[in-house]
Amino acid sequence: MMLVISTCAEELSEREFVQPLSAIIPKSRIVHWSKVTQKDIAAASAIIISGTALADFAYLEGDWSWLKDCAAAVLGICAGAQVIAKVFGAELDKKTVIGVRPIQAVRENELVLEGASGYFLYTLEPKGNFDVLARSDGAPCVFRIPGKDVFGCTFHPEVLNPDIIRRFLAKKF
Amino acid sequence: MMKLGILFSGGKDSTLALHRAAESHEIACLITVVSENPASFMFHTPNIDLTGLQAEALGVPLVRVTTKGEKETELADLQRAITAAKETYGIEGVVTGAVRSTYQAARVQRICHVLGLWCFNPLWLKDQVVLLREVVSEGYDVIISGVAAEGVSSLLGEKIVPKTVDVLERLAETARINPAGEGGEFESTVLDAPLFKKRIGLVRVKKEEEAHAGVLRIEEARLVEK
Repeated sequence: MMLVISTCAEELSEREFVQPLSAIIPKSRIVHWSKVTQKDIAAASAIIISGTALADFAYLEGDWSWLKDCAAAVLGICAGAQVIAKVFGAELDKKTVIGVRPIQAVRENELVLEGASGYFLYTLEPKGNFDVLARSDGAPCVFRIPGKDVFGCTFHPEVLNPDIIRRFLAKKF
Repeated sequence: MMKLGILFSGGKDSTLALHRAAESHEIACLITVVSENPASFMFHTPNIDLTGLQAEALGVPLVRVTTKGEKETELADLQRAITAAKETYGIEGVVTGAVRSTYQAARVQRICHVLGLWCFNPLWLKDQVVLLREVVSEGYDVIISGVAAEGVSSLLGEKIVPKTVDVLERLAETARINPAGEGGEFESTVLDAPLFKKRIGLVRVKKEEEAHAGVLRIEEARLVEK
């Protein structure tokens, strides 16, 4: 079972950030971050943590410590990438990026292909010792937590790069 | 519950977005930017002046700002309109009917960020045919009021009903148009919707057509009891 964790404080935002993920992963189960249980995590074959509205920061107050021991592969999108970065000891720099920007694979990998663009929508940028897979304007935009199947993507792949999500679910990374 | 302002063109997308937002928030006002430039990427739409009557039909105040529609100044004009809505009606967020346009969505996101407002795009990435079918099934009365693509031109002035959706879906496959018209293939005008307290009755309209483009100009309309 694929699990989609909503980071949206407002239900209206879920139409924008969660439902498009469900359209790419039709058989997924959606749970709000404040209601995720150990049972949900244990039952998931893969987990995607959604993004949310630019003005929304409530998700940063949540308990995401389960990420450290999670057996399933995890992909955090935007806000999801921020919580992954935070749990694994990285900083979140105040930096605003909004709009379509080029993304460049740093090294050959199956998750991010060369020559793509991504839709960015964030005010906090993860900064840490990641295994960086792709950069945009010099900043890591797709990263992996070393030694784990836990990935962060600071842009919204559901907008222009749905294949990144499909390759992640097919464990092509 | 937040007080929200709706970026409102009077077409099906902004009206549907309004209805989705109204399910969980208060609609404090509509925000309309009227562009004098027919080539405006952000705001041009036929019958934009009808938003006054639509606002009356909804019983929601309208903030209306005019722009010359030049690329850089029209965004400043949009910011001026949203600022006015914030100051006058105390809005905490803005709702758009954007479906796929990252160009438009990013610009509104930036303005909301600068003004400290939430931004909601409840139709974002929604399947375009599903969107059209929702408009029909939920009882919206919508006419195609502008056309700008081969194949779509014969639909000028037609109502969006199941048969129209079938035609648009077929054109999406054969002529590669965007079936919801977000690429400018067609424009729509809403005459009635579930939250309208009165519907809009057309008194006098005029078709202006040239090659594959055309506009149904609404010259006179009035509110009618439902």
